[in-house]
Amino acid sequence: MKLYKKEGNILQILSFPNETAEKGDYLLVEDADAGKALIAQVIDMQFASIPGVLEELLRSLPDGGELIQGEDFDPLEIAPHITYIQDASLLICKIRATVEGENLTPSSSWLPSRSQSTIKKLPIPTLLKLAKVDGKLPIILGSTKDASPLTIDASSLDGRLNIITGKKETGKSHLSKLLMLNLIGYGATVVVFDLNGEYHSLGMTSDGKRNSYYDKIHVLTPAQNFKVALKQLNLQVLLGILIHALHLPGTSAREFRRIWQSLKERDMLTLHELGEAIRNWHCNQHVRDALFSRYHALVNSGFFTDETGGTMLLEEYLFKAKEQGGAIIINLRNTSTIDRQIVVEYVLGKLVELLTSWKLKAVFLFAEEAHLYLRETYWDDIVTRMRHFGIFTTFITNQPDTIREHIYRQADNIFLFNFTNEHDLEVVSRAARVDAETVKSIARDLPPHYCLTLGKVVKDFPMVAKVKALDVKTMGETRLFFKNAD
Amino acid sequence: MLPQRLIQLSLHTLKTVQNNTIQLNQQTIQQAYTETHTIQLNPKPITLKPNRTQTTIAAVDTSNMKIGETSTGIIAAVRGAAIWKQNKHYHYTRLGPFIFHITEENKRQLYQTLATAYLNTNDTVHAYPLNLTQMPNRIANLLEKWLQTTLTKTLTNSLILFDGSLTAGTPDTPMPLMKEILNTARKRNNTVLAFSKMTNLRANGYLITDALPPHKPPYMLETSGFKPKPPTVLLGDVYVAKLTNGNYAFRLDIDKEIPHEQKIEAAQKLLGNDHIQQSYPETLRLAHILCTFTANEVIAMQHFTTRRYNLKIINRPDMHRLLFGPYGKGDMNA
Repeated sequence: MKLYKKEGNILQILSFPNETAEKGDYLLVEDADAGKALIAQVIDMQFASIPGVLEELLRSLPDGGELIQGEDFDPLEIAPHITYIQDASLLICKIRATVEGENLTPSSSWLPSRSQSTIKKLPIPTLLKLAKVDGKLPIILGSTKDASPLTIDASSLDGRLNIITGKKETGKSHLSKLLMLNLIGYGATVVVFDLNGEYHSLGMTSDGKRNSYYDKIHVLTPAQNFKVALKQLNLQVLLGILIHALHLPGTSAREFRRIWQSLKERDMLTLHELGEAIRNWHCNQHVRDALFSRYHALVNSGFFTDETGGTMLLEEYLFKAKEQGGAIIINLRNTSTIDRQIVVEYVLGKLVELLTSWKLKAVFLFAEEAHLYLRETYWDDIVTRMRHFGIFTTFITNQPDTIREHIYRQADNIFLFNFTNEHDLEVVSRAARVDAETVKSIARDLPPHYCLTLGKVVKDFPMVAKVKALDVKTMGETRLFFKNAD
Repeated sequence: MLPQRLIQLSLHTLKTVQNNTIQLNQQTIQQAYTETHTIQLNPKPITLKPNRTQTTIAAVDTSNMKIGETSTGIIAAVRGAAIWKQNKHYHYTRLGPFIFHITEENKRQLYQTLATAYLNTNDTVHAYPLNLTQMPNRIANLLEKWLQTTLTKTLTNSLILFDGSLTAGTPDTPMPLMKEILNTARKRNNTVLAFSKMTNLRANGYLITDALPPHKPPYMLETSGFKPKPPTVLLGDVYVAKLTNGNYAFRLDIDKEIPHEQKIEAAQKLLGNDHIQQSYPETLRLAHILCTFTANEVIAMQHFTTRRYNLKIINRPDMHRLLFGPYGKGDMNA
């Protein structure tokens, strides 16, 4: 390989057919005299602009597109040299860092010698060692193209905002399960908003046996084993539901607060009494109607109850997870949009309550397709305010444009699977932790189950890895009409 | 059958260049030929009708290229191509590239050996001066003669197209050899037609390919009065051929020894059996295309010579550039 050009932080490297390099590979451009080396990542490959190639190709097709038949007597065997030159490629590489001795700096301000520099592939394990991508809590994400494991540290997810995105069936949920299981393996508390009911069997192996996570996976299904007694409900949490999930206007909310306090003072916080209180409350008819419609929404959700026994499961599981690590799966499958928002509002409110009072240390929240249940204002809340309370979110989506641009900018880690759509790539490329060219060029060519990892987990050295398989019962399969047609 | 002597000499001369330095060069060597002749042009065109009787059309062309300079000489490459159209399909045989290291010291020996092998004579070696820069062209001409001889000996009832004219008596085209080629062709019922891309023949002050009557092509115009300066002799009758619409016409030499009707028939068979574009036969165009060196091939040959013979590339300063800066554009545009 030969250094051809440097423009800004882009290197163009001439590569010959016997030198194999692919998109995502790292190269070390070493200038022995300068005692420094550049670490560059291949983000694109092109044919080298060899003069005369077009003529070469054209002359082989002169007869109306039919190949001309003939014999070449090439006594000096020049032909292999011609193909060698013809097949030369130009590697477009992004400079990621400069190595000087043992030190790594994110600089590209010097120019290595074009004639004297040596260029070789930088094995991923060496790069990981150089970049000090290690730690005491390793999570093996998968294997890189050179078959070496890509290991990140669980602590690099701690306190971070993560995004897992990619088009359908590329392996997003699989990766989120892998991260989640590893986190609970290290004793973390994880809450999952499980939109499609695909996380509830993670305690089982693929052949249906219990695995080591069995006792750490707690599934809560709203209106079934997950109900809330009004008496145990914090007014602020319920107002949050009414205002944000059920869009109760401010005037009506003030009346509701009065009704609630009145019932609480009389120790009469039941669904029936609440309904009666609204009916008999002295207030404007419109306010009454507004309160009534929300009251019926609460009742119809089946999520609220008067029974106090068995309604403390969320807290119970959270405390259990705090002790030994565990995941609370909020199964939102078969839940209507309104009910979903009520449940999510409740869970988030509850988490904030427990975290504020330091009853919980921190929670890793995994939110699949959050735009389907998260109110607009919560996005900002989650990435800013709730982060300080100790809610560290991982968004998982196949519609990257449903996540706002400023969230990409604040994301600490992005796990990017294949995208072919220009618009999707454009959205993701707004992430602050990586350049747009890398995202667009590498993500477009990622095979299924290959993930481009960006951000702090890889110390800002974007890496491609095939996500490792999990021996857990997956429930994310799509129901098919023609499945048994064969 | 291969031109064994070319291969042997190519390898032999390259052995002398090992561990030397090389200054790369991609400029083609252009032949300087400026002598003009005035002739008469018969304004009455010979109208041609395509004759589709199945006839093999064959063509030969060679090219050469200086690929670098060493401290003692030049490194040059030569390649030749023979192409024939049979049953509506083109086939080719391409020979080379043969790469030579030509020096002032070995040029005479080199040319003498090749001339003896391919021209059946070495008289020309002593009769004409050997200019080092013209050597690639001279060697290419030898290869071209060998290919022409081989084709005339191999084909029967065919049309054989040469690039250039049917003049003989030049350093690389001794009259006996050219006569021999045409004789062999005739004996095997082949007809030789030579197309010149450039001509210096003029009629009434105009180039013969420019002053054409307003007649619907395809047609040929007869010429007369062309007497080349001795020792050059003309072995063909010179025509101007305008075979398609458009502004293109070429000097066409047809073997003088064949009857007039056969000459016309040959031109008509060419029209009926080959694809003619811009008045030029596709077979001859392909021969030219196949033997021409592309820039990519030149780089590959430079790669080959530097790797195989351990040549060290040097960059001698370009005096044009050095003296005239952006106004010095090298020999090509000087």
